[in-house]
Amino acid sequence: MEFFDNELSTLMPAEGRVEAIAKVTGKGKYAAEYTVPGVCYAVLVTSSIPAGTIKAIQVDKAKRATGVIDILYHQNKPVVPGFADETKIRESRVGLPVFYTDKIYFKGQPIALVVAESLEEATYAASLITADYTAEVFNVDFVKTHPSIPLKAAGKERGTVDEWSNAIHIVEAEYTIKEEVHNPMEMHATIAEWVGDNKVKLYEKTQGVNSVQRVISGLFSIPRENVEVISEFVGGGFGSGLRVWSNTLMAVMASLQVKRPVKLMLTRPQMFSLVGYRPESWQKIKLGADSSGKFSGMIHQAKHTTSVFENFNENITRIARLVYDFKNLKTESAIVPLNLGTPTWMRGPGDCTGDFAIESAIDELSYKLNEDPIALRLKNIALKNDPESGKPWSTHFIDECLEQGATKINWKNRKQTPGQVTEGDWQIGYGMAIGMWTSGRTQASASIVLDKSGTIIVRTAMTDIGTGTGTAMQNLAHESLGMPKNKIKVELGNSNLPPAPSQGGSTGLASLGGAVMDAATLLKQKLATYAAAINAQYKDAAAADILLSENGISYKQANAQFISYADLWKKVDEPTIEAEATSAPGEERQQFAFCSSAAHFCIVRVHSKTGKVKVDRMVCVADGGKIINEKPAANQVSGAAVGGIGMALMEEQQADVKFGSLLGNDLAGYHFAVNADAPIIEVSFIDKPDPNINQMGSKGLGEVGIIGCAAAIANAIYNATGKRLRNLPITPDKVLLG
Amino acid sequence: MNEQTLSRRFFLKVSGAFVALAAVPSTVHAFYQDVKSFLVPPKETLPTTLTINKQPYKVTADTRSTLLDLLREELQLTGTKKGCDHGQCGACTVHVDGQRVLSCLTLTAMLPGKTVTTIEGLADGEKLHPMQQAFIECDGFQCGYCTPGQIMSAVACVNEGHTKSVAEIKEFMSGNLCRCGAYNGIVEAIQKVAK
Ligand code: FES
Ligand code: FES
Repeated sequence: MEFFDNELSTLMPAEGRVEAIAKVTGKGKYAAEYTVPGVCYAVLVTSSIPAGTIKAIQVDKAKRATGVIDILYHQNKPVVPGFADETKIRESRVGLPVFYTDKIYFKGQPIALVVAESLEEATYAASLITADYTAEVFNVDFVKTHPSIPLKAAGKERGTVDEWSNAIHIVEAEYTIKEEVHNPMEMHATIAEWVGDNKVKLYEKTQGVNSVQRVISGLFSIPRENVEVISEFVGGGFGSGLRVWSNTLMAVMASLQVKRPVKLMLTRPQMFSLVGYRPESWQKIKLGADSSGKFSGMIHQAKHTTSVFENFNENITRIARLVYDFKNLKTESAIVPLNLGTPTWMRGPGDCTGDFAIESAIDELSYKLNEDPIALRLKNIALKNDPESGKPWSTHFIDECLEQGATKINWKNRKQTPGQVTEGDWQIGYGMAIGMWTSGRTQASASIVLDKSGTIIVRTAMTDIGTGTGTAMQNLAHESLGMPKNKIKVELGNSNLPPAPSQGGSTGLASLGGAVMDAATLLKQKLATYAAAINAQYKDAAAADILLSENGISYKQANAQFISYADLWKKVDEPTIEAEATSAPGEERQQFAFCSSAAHFCIVRVHSKTGKVKVDRMVCVADGGKIINEKPAANQVSGAAVGGIGMALMEEQQADVKFGSLLGNDLAGYHFAVNADAPIIEVSFIDKPDPNINQMGSKGLGEVGIIGCAAAIANAIYNATGKRLRNLPITPDKVLLG
Repeated sequence: MNEQTLSRRFFLKVSGAFVALAAVPSTVHAFYQDVKSFLVPPKETLPTTLTINKQPYKVTADTRSTLLDLLREELQLTGTKKGCDHGQCGACTVHVDGQRVLSCLTLTAMLPGKTVTTIEGLADGEKLHPMQQAFIECDGFQCGYCTPGQIMSAVACVNEGHTKSVAEIKEFMSGNLCRCGAYNGIVEAIQKVAK
């Protein structure tokens, strides 16, 4: 087994991440970078039409190119038991039964895979493959199609619409957001290697090794433990790595077929069509308030795209039920199937989209009421209880987030009337919005191993996609054991390690942390038992009173004796002492509701002649419970805010309605925020532990950093210019025409 | 007929002959199209001598091979990352003769006699380069995938003297995309080293 490279080094500054040296020296291995003897290369050929059937594929010419080993397509592929028939395919829930269909559902769908000795050879040979199709009518036009798709109730209606139909203040408006694409910097990649015919090893880019293991073992009908998945370094995900996509399946199929290890890395253009995206959406909000600014009711309607072969619903209206205390609330939604790949969860899925519309509408209402938007929110936020379940929030500090953020950005300098502040051709404005996310937690396991030399290894199957999971594990082990950090190693991202959920939905650390702390307690109890054989005082030692150091263990009780590892190991037969623990949510979920939240504030400048928008300052104050590592946590929130700037101002994927192609299919055609697009993001935390969620008191942070950012920016643009822009991204043309 | 019997020389002769016959009647032209569609040019290699991280290398690379693929796939120097393969992201940034260069847009064949430095060659043995150290201290990354490219660009950015303000650093580092959005730490690290 290869280990997560966290070489213990005295050069490593105490505050650095556990894997920092591996990352800054280029030594850390991402999926496509492992040296696997005999590896060959796979390159994809994709469909050139958006809908229809493959009549024939011409592979002869490609077969004659140097280095080609085999070409997989629907008439030449290995047996995949999970794709044996229509029913099995449906039950597999992998979406696209790649090579097990001749149907084309979207442009860019894989139709063949060339396997060759080198990447250059495979790439060239792939260019020689052509196909004949029977084309069918297709549709990629969301804007034209969605009006004909009826809305359905999304959740139970609260109160009635009649009750507030003649509210004194009403805001009613429509909002649209163009499709966004995750585009982690590392492209999805797999090295698949079959060992015999019922064992496979995968170096895989994923956010969850156990979920890949489950899917592959199911499809190929092999025992789960025969699928080893290794993802020690993951170059970002943002949701795209939460599913097993066709590229992984193709790599596994190809390796089975050619009986050699196969490496398949998607190209950047393929990343736009094959591994999900945030769907394009339409929303309509009707928000009512009485003369005192108390919300009297809301109707929230939403539609978004899905593919023609899978129903994906990201529940855009969910956030309407979460943040404010609506006595009357009606939510409706619909999905619109189009000839595109299947969308998937992307950072703050659903809520990020829904929040933009709601927070924009509330801002609009605040101007109608001539009331400060912070005060208006504070009047209506459900601060005590979850408005949906009625359960009390375990902790909820959005009010403090608002207060801190307002002070930091000098909110008192904001003008209530828009368009008041100019600097040459620039108009300047302030905006704010809030974001929320339910703090989930799932079952996770971790183990801690101590060896004779006094080195600790903390292990879990969970991945670290850049969130600092490994560093948090080290910190938690350090805090609960007392062992110096430079003696604590981390191993993660491997399906042979204690099982853990995928890293997503802001649940990673909240789920895993408890397991690490429980394992630490168990380890200390074990050590106390061994120690008692040497010194009887240890017999009644509580785990909390045992401390580990580099050389041995001690008992916090008066004049209890220190026992060195050398002495201890005289009583131990094994080379290591190990403790494993599993932690899961429990009773507390019956009693309380859990949430993380954030308040986002910004100052923008808008150029009156060019329509350019620049974010001058961005302040994010988040409540994520207790913060385990301040720097990586702040980094995560500021990174999410950078994502929010992209969402607000530039990220947009469009499909060409005439040919069904994606217009932005590389990083020149699809823009996300570069360094110069973002100011230095100012992040701070409430940092109060939630006493009920888990042992650490930590709630998730990954999503609230982005939810609310786009609305804060759009609201600031209104404050600067008096233009209410409801369609994302707000590109210069929209500002000028607005 | 298969590709083994169709030598490069044969290909050149045949295609040369057809160029000369470009003005002949269309049936011959159609015949030429048929032959051409059957021909698949074989792989060609080119020996190249270059220096990478102070080590001399003699490689015989596919003429289509980029420096990026040479490093990652042939020499196991996987610290240089592929983020787009199109010159659009900066993840593959290395130094060639001291200048920052996108290795995905550089063919190996263009490099005889050149001196290449990659992220693996930046540290002085065990001792990290100040920029690597600064990236750790300022937490200038999350997933770490753009990081080698950011660091190579950052070193060049300091050498080029483009560090007079946050705005200037941001401008001259905007060819290196970071989807994690770790721009705060990246800027801070560069400021630290530039001092
Ligand atoms: S990989 Fe070279 S610029 Fe993106
Ligand atoms: S650190 Fe992940 S892309 Fe930059």
